[in-house]
Amino acid sequence: MQEMYPKKGRVILHVDMNSFYASVEMAYDSSLKGKPLAIAGNVEERRGIIVTCSYEARRFGVKTTMPLWEAKKLCPQLIVKSPDFDKYRTASVAMFDLLRQYTSLVEPVSIDEGYMDITECHEMGSPIEIAKSIQQRIFQTLDLPCSIGIAPNKFLAKTASDMKKPMGITILRKRDVPDKLWPLGVTEMHGIGEKTAEKLESIGVRTIGDLSQANEMQLRHALGINGLKLKNRANGEDNRGVDPDSIYEHKSVGNSTTLPYDSTNEKELLTVIHTLSEKVAFRLKRKNLAGQKIGITIRFKNRKTITRSKTLLNPITSHKNISEEAKALFKIHWNGDAVRLLGVTAFEVIEKQEAFKQLDIFSYQQDAKKEPLFSAIEKLQAKYGKKALQKGTDYTGGTSANMGAETSFSKDFLDRQR
Amino acid sequence: MRFIIQRDRLIQSVQDVMKAVTSRTTIPILTGIKITATEEGVTFTGSDSDISIESFIPAEEGGDEIVEIKETGSIVLQARFFSEIVKKLPLGTVEMQVTNSFQTIIRSGKAEFNLNGLDADEYPHLPQIEEEKTLKLPADLLKTLIRQTVFAVSTSETRPILTGVNWKIENGQIICIATDSHRLAMRSAPIEGEEQSSYSVVIPGKSLNELSKILDDTTDLIDIVITENQVLFKAKHLLFFSRLLEGNYPDTSRLIPTESKTDVVVHTKDFLQAIDRASLLAREGRNNVVKLSTMDGGFLEISSNTPEIGKVIEEVQTETIDGEELKISFSAKYMMDALKTLEGTEIRVKFTGAMRPFVIHSLNDETITQLILPVRTY
Amino acid sequence: MIGKWNELEQIQPDVYRMLKNSRIKNRVAHAYLFEGGKGTGKREAALLFAKSLFCEQITEGIVPCDHCVNCKRIQSGNHPDVHVLEPDGLSIKKEQIQTLQEEFSKKAVESSKKLYAIFHADKMTNQAANSLLKFLEEPNRETTAILVTEQVQRILPTILSRCQVISFKPLSPIYFKETLLQNGVSPSNATVISHLTQNLEEALQMNSQEWFAQAQKIMVKLYETLRSNPLKALLYLQEEWFAHFKEKEQIDRGLDLLFLIYKDLLHVQLDKRNQLVFNHLEKVLEHDALLISSQRLAEKMSVILDAKKRLLSNTNTQLLMEQLVLNLQEGSSFV
Repeated sequence: MQEMYPKKGRVILHVDMNSFYASVEMAYDSSLKGKPLAIAGNVEERRGIIVTCSYEARRFGVKTTMPLWEAKKLCPQLIVKSPDFDKYRTASVAMFDLLRQYTSLVEPVSIDEGYMDITECHEMGSPIEIAKSIQQRIFQTLDLPCSIGIAPNKFLAKTASDMKKPMGITILRKRDVPDKLWPLGVTEMHGIGEKTAEKLESIGVRTIGDLSQANEMQLRHALGINGLKLKNRANGEDNRGVDPDSIYEHKSVGNSTTLPYDSTNEKELLTVIHTLSEKVAFRLKRKNLAGQKIGITIRFKNRKTITRSKTLLNPITSHKNISEEAKALFKIHWNGDAVRLLGVTAFEVIEKQEAFKQLDIFSYQQDAKKEPLFSAIEKLQAKYGKKALQKGTDYTGGTSANMGAETSFSKDFLDRQR
Repeated sequence: MRFIIQRDRLIQSVQDVMKAVTSRTTIPILTGIKITATEEGVTFTGSDSDISIESFIPAEEGGDEIVEIKETGSIVLQARFFSEIVKKLPLGTVEMQVTNSFQTIIRSGKAEFNLNGLDADEYPHLPQIEEEKTLKLPADLLKTLIRQTVFAVSTSETRPILTGVNWKIENGQIICIATDSHRLAMRSAPIEGEEQSSYSVVIPGKSLNELSKILDDTTDLIDIVITENQVLFKAKHLLFFSRLLEGNYPDTSRLIPTESKTDVVVHTKDFLQAIDRASLLAREGRNNVVKLSTMDGGFLEISSNTPEIGKVIEEVQTETIDGEELKISFSAKYMMDALKTLEGTEIRVKFTGAMRPFVIHSLNDETITQLILPVRTY
Repeated sequence: MIGKWNELEQIQPDVYRMLKNSRIKNRVAHAYLFEGGKGTGKREAALLFAKSLFCEQITEGIVPCDHCVNCKRIQSGNHPDVHVLEPDGLSIKKEQIQTLQEEFSKKAVESSKKLYAIFHADKMTNQAANSLLKFLEEPNRETTAILVTEQVQRILPTILSRCQVISFKPLSPIYFKETLLQNGVSPSNATVISHLTQNLEEALQMNSQEWFAQAQKIMVKLYETLRSNPLKALLYLQEEWFAHFKEKEQIDRGLDLLFLIYKDLLHVQLDKRNQLVFNHLEKVLEHDALLISSQRLAEKMSVILDAKKRLLSNTNTQLLMEQLVLNLQEGSSFV
């Protein structure tokens, strides 16, 4: 099979689950199959928007982020379900476990997509055979559809997996780029949103082909260093490797929520911050992390958004500490205008084992009280190994679904597969 | 005001007082240098309101005439211009004269400058000194006292009082204490002068650093006068004033442990170098943490571990280790800062537990105490 | 414009009394908030009060001498223990408050007293206000704060509650007239305008308006028509008056002017001629004053005020003016 692989260069797969939440629901309840199904947030509140929907629903014009009432208008028989993240998490874990049977070079990107580097997998067959095998096994064992892109790099693989849905397998070589990508508008390219497209338009770049030939000075001026990166992508170049650990490089852990209505009630807003802090603390704890910087996000009624943060003397993990810092920041920076969205984030997070707290001469007694406990733990660890017992890590799986129904959710749970 | 002065002495005095002058001041008059001529001589004053420096040039010194006073009086001149002008005057003598409405003429040879001065009455009034309330310390000892304590002051304004060094004068002794709440430095020394009086004042760390730069390493006695708002250090012809901090310094005496659970005597230099090496691999910044463990056979293990960089372990032979075995983590920077202030080849470290403060002394010399709070690992 | 205590006593008697009492009874608050409209003497009062606290030759326990080194240095901004904060650009920033806090963490330079004044305190950013709040919560001994604002409603309630609020009332017209004269307004205009507004900007704008100059003439003409031939006045309204006074605000201004004319009539009757607004009408008014009882004059003035009130509600302005003219006629009264 060696001949099916490039002599130099890599073979990357991008596995993208098709309308993942809806597909999982159908796998659990086969009576839903073939019917228009949508997963949506709370129906009563503002966040009652479509998170994802089945292909059957898409045929009626139902789209992601569409308000529920609008979707119902387009498709009165639409079945609406609230998200059940425990189900999706379980499915996702199973899916990535299956991918890892082919290679350890699996990089989860989110709950329902990931990259694989199969350059060294020629023993198992040609790339396309491997892709077919993956697709079939996911479908047979999990009852879930996916699309797979095969390409020499991440960008092209991602682009390829997008080309045929559902259950597609697409090969995109570098030499296909001029024919397949260049005629397309820049917005078709992964990583280009409306804002970027507008800026590109201003320098006369409309298609991906235009971008591939664009003047670098102009690009740099319009988009900074990112402009050059995009030009490389437009030429089918992307040198990012598949990094199974990238998901663990936590830089921040944050939660935010859109309020059911715009609020100027300080007490109410502080309560929201308190709840968000609890979620952040919960996630930090589950991942055994500590934050060295706490930040808040405030989005006002007029969509103006501010983020403010404070670097802390000592890393913190507890709900109480996070909440105190976040509330203090809010009190300083809130100007009294109506608030639409609030967020709390722990930045510069580090492994708890690496975290230290510099004791203070006026308050060390509080910590010293726990000294006997910690010395006991240390002795046990010395005897039975570090894994036997860890300080402050009471990991309780499965309860996370109670931590608020978010319409998008984090990829923290992927850690458990470590 | 009118006088003729030797240029070199003028330049020296202006340079000395310029150390207190800043352009970043909200008080306009402080951008100037105050010049006062009396029958005895000429005084120059510079100030940023936190510190003020006065330099006095006597009319006569050792029988030589340095200043010829023609008319007494005072004026304030823009420091920036005045200091540049005096440096560039052509001759060895300079004549300064205030004409009406604060116009000032500076003459040297054929060069003549006209500067617009300001009313000297507008200048801040420095405290009047009552000569009898003085303490005396040799300049070199004063500098040592400062060096051994001022590094431990807080740089954060959250507790302003901790940005200063607490000077307590009692029982013929001076005790200097500084703490940023993570470490504490304390030094005591006997003083000459008033045995009866007792004071407790807090002097801004910044002022002491400035003072230390100005003083020479000599055994000349410095007079120290403490007033209601300011402290004055008086050397020959040079007066250094500093404002005091407002508020009460926390009582630190009960915070310094007197007993110990683990007692280590170790060679200062060996210990310092081991800590220094371990800190190389400790992460930059606040996580500059090393771990110390007592080992069998009178060894200390100093280690540090930074996952993405690497690991270092070093054993240091001690003189003695007495008491309970111990594992403790602390900031390498704090430890090195403290060790550098200690005199003598050996030190004694008294630990009281992994999460409690520990104390470092020079062996057989308890006039200087360095205290450090460890870090807690999670 | 207010440089002295006795002037403060004249123009802001309540403020004067409160400050005097707190100073004499040695009950100076930790923080004051001086609030009131533009040009009401807040800044001057703040400086005077500072001088009163620091003056070396104080008289009557409160009146600063204004020539000792402390008074002089407070005036010139050179006193090392008196700190004045003003907006840096559009706002007072957190850094400014922090610098102030650092300053106050030290003992005073000269005495044990320290004072800071924050002008336009409403322009503090949220962060600045919060820093200040901490500062106000832990006052030092013998530290006095004076916050000054024209917009007290924009001060954080938490700050407000820690200050003794001192309200400055709008000035009596005589003082405002002085200000106007200093701003180059002609004496006759200054007199009229000072009775119509307290806001300097508005006053200067009025002064430069051609419309306003014309409005004065037309109102005088209306008055003269009224007294000579009341019925002609109705005609005059149609022919000229409405052409000039179109908007409600303009009519309101016209009624103000008319009221001032009648008030002048009262001044003549009471022989307070130095208070006349329309000096050039003195002869005419002297004549008219003899022809009308003071009771009738009061009635006429209240008729004008009543018309002003009705103008605020949605009323037909033409009808309103015609009724007014008829009501102002001698001897008859229609309502």
